[in-house]
Amino acid sequence: MFRFKLVSYLLGYVVILVTGEAPEKFVNMAAGRGIFLWDIFKTGDGAITMKVRLSAVRPLRHIARRTRCRFSIRRRRGVPFYTAWLRRRKALALGAVFFLAALYLFSSFIWFIEVRGNEQLSAAEVLEAAEEAGLHRGVPKWNIEAGRLEAKIQEALPLVSWTGVYIKGTRVIIEVAERTVPGEEDRRPLHIVAAKEGLVKEVLVLDGYPLVKEGDTIEQGQVLISGEIPPPAEEPSPSGGEKQPGDVSEVDRQPRYVHAKGIVRARVWYDGYGEAGTVETGRRPTGRSATCVSMKFEGKEIILSGSPDIPFENYKIETFVKKIPDWRNLSMPVEVITIKYIEMDDYRLERSREDAIKLAGERARKAAARLLPENAEVQEQWLEEVPSESAGAPIRVKAVIETTEDIGREKIFNP
Amino acid sequence: MSWRDFKRKVQRQFSEYLEIPGDVMLDLPKIILVGNIQLFIENHRGIIEYTPEGVRVSVGEGEVAVTGQDLMLRNILPDELCVEGKIRSLSFL
Repeated sequence: MFRFKLVSYLLGYVVILVTGEAPEKFVNMAAGRGIFLWDIFKTGDGAITMKVRLSAVRPLRHIARRTRCRFSIRRRRGVPFYTAWLRRRKALALGAVFFLAALYLFSSFIWFIEVRGNEQLSAAEVLEAAEEAGLHRGVPKWNIEAGRLEAKIQEALPLVSWTGVYIKGTRVIIEVAERTVPGEEDRRPLHIVAAKEGLVKEVLVLDGYPLVKEGDTIEQGQVLISGEIPPPAEEPSPSGGEKQPGDVSEVDRQPRYVHAKGIVRARVWYDGYGEAGTVETGRRPTGRSATCVSMKFEGKEIILSGSPDIPFENYKIETFVKKIPDWRNLSMPVEVITIKYIEMDDYRLERSREDAIKLAGERARKAAARLLPENAEVQEQWLEEVPSESAGAPIRVKAVIETTEDIGREKIFNP
Repeated sequence: MSWRDFKRKVQRQFSEYLEIPGDVMLDLPKIILVGNIQLFIENHRGIIEYTPEGVRVSVGEGEVAVTGQDLMLRNILPDELCVEGKIRSLSFL
């Protein structure tokens, strides 16, 4: 059926209206002569509309005369009529053809060039290299050979170890992979100083002069490894200490300045305090809440859902106002207000001394743990109860965490 | 028994014996009814009457009458015909 309709559309068909005494005869005779008729439909006043192929209209005249019917063409459909219509509107047809041609033409040029993967190189440098290789905006696509471009760009940029050129529609993506070149070494003289106080556990000097040793207590800011290397201690020369003019060691009397490098690991202690009372009172949410959504429009408030009466005795209010953001100097006078009533409840907790100590200890431990840097290795931790002055005071517990960490920090100095 | 009735009887027995479908041998209409919305009649002899409320189609012997609402002849070929619409009844006259 679909194929039949498609063929009919391609060949063209007409909707005809048949009037007369017996349109059935017309239909029978047409069908008997092998003329395709379809969608035969009786309109109100005894006339019949039907669809028939364009090629069958001429024989139908003869049949109409024989059956004493008249027919008139109501609607013309299909490709032949469409082309005729286009023939009358040449500019439109030309425009469509021109549009397609332009679309094809403009899609065969490169309009966008994208550079990816460059970190040290700037995109402009890569683009410049590409330009020299013959790739720039507006170049026709058929002039581009990805393989040749890749080789040329790589040749032009010594920092690039690999290039990929992909053409995607009117966009060219140049992907580069850069060589990692060892960076310039920092030669500025500097000390390694303590970032925090602690007890030195081990010292590893790569360059510089160590000023601390294992077991030393250090303060914050103290120089651990100095960038200033003092001259070697003068050895008592066997000849009795006499100096000869032009001695080479004279030059070495000056201290040497270096970029100190090394690791100083120290034991560091972190304190945290926690409190817990044997009796605790306060307010907390019960978990029940009620929401009231209302819309405010020019000072009037319309409640959309929920009730304005607050169903709780003790409560906390959270209000959210939603408004359409202002645009230029227009502002909407409408806002939606959501009010959330959260029921609160007074509570009183009594706990035993052991429980209070446990809770305070837990809190203290958490407080101390919050101070720990990321790379610290926890060695030991313990809790100490701080004796309180009065009987009713809450129980205070101190938590100590001992860690081992690298406490060195670089500090530049001017010799 | 007329000569014609005798011929029909022989033809029927012959087709039953050889298991040849009746529409081929006996020139009977083959009617396919799809629910109450579509009706195909193969081997028809033309339309006698057509209105949106009823269609009468001539078949080998007699007529097939279809009644319903908004009936429409979907297509018509020399020996095949399709009626669409809300079909209420189908009868042989």
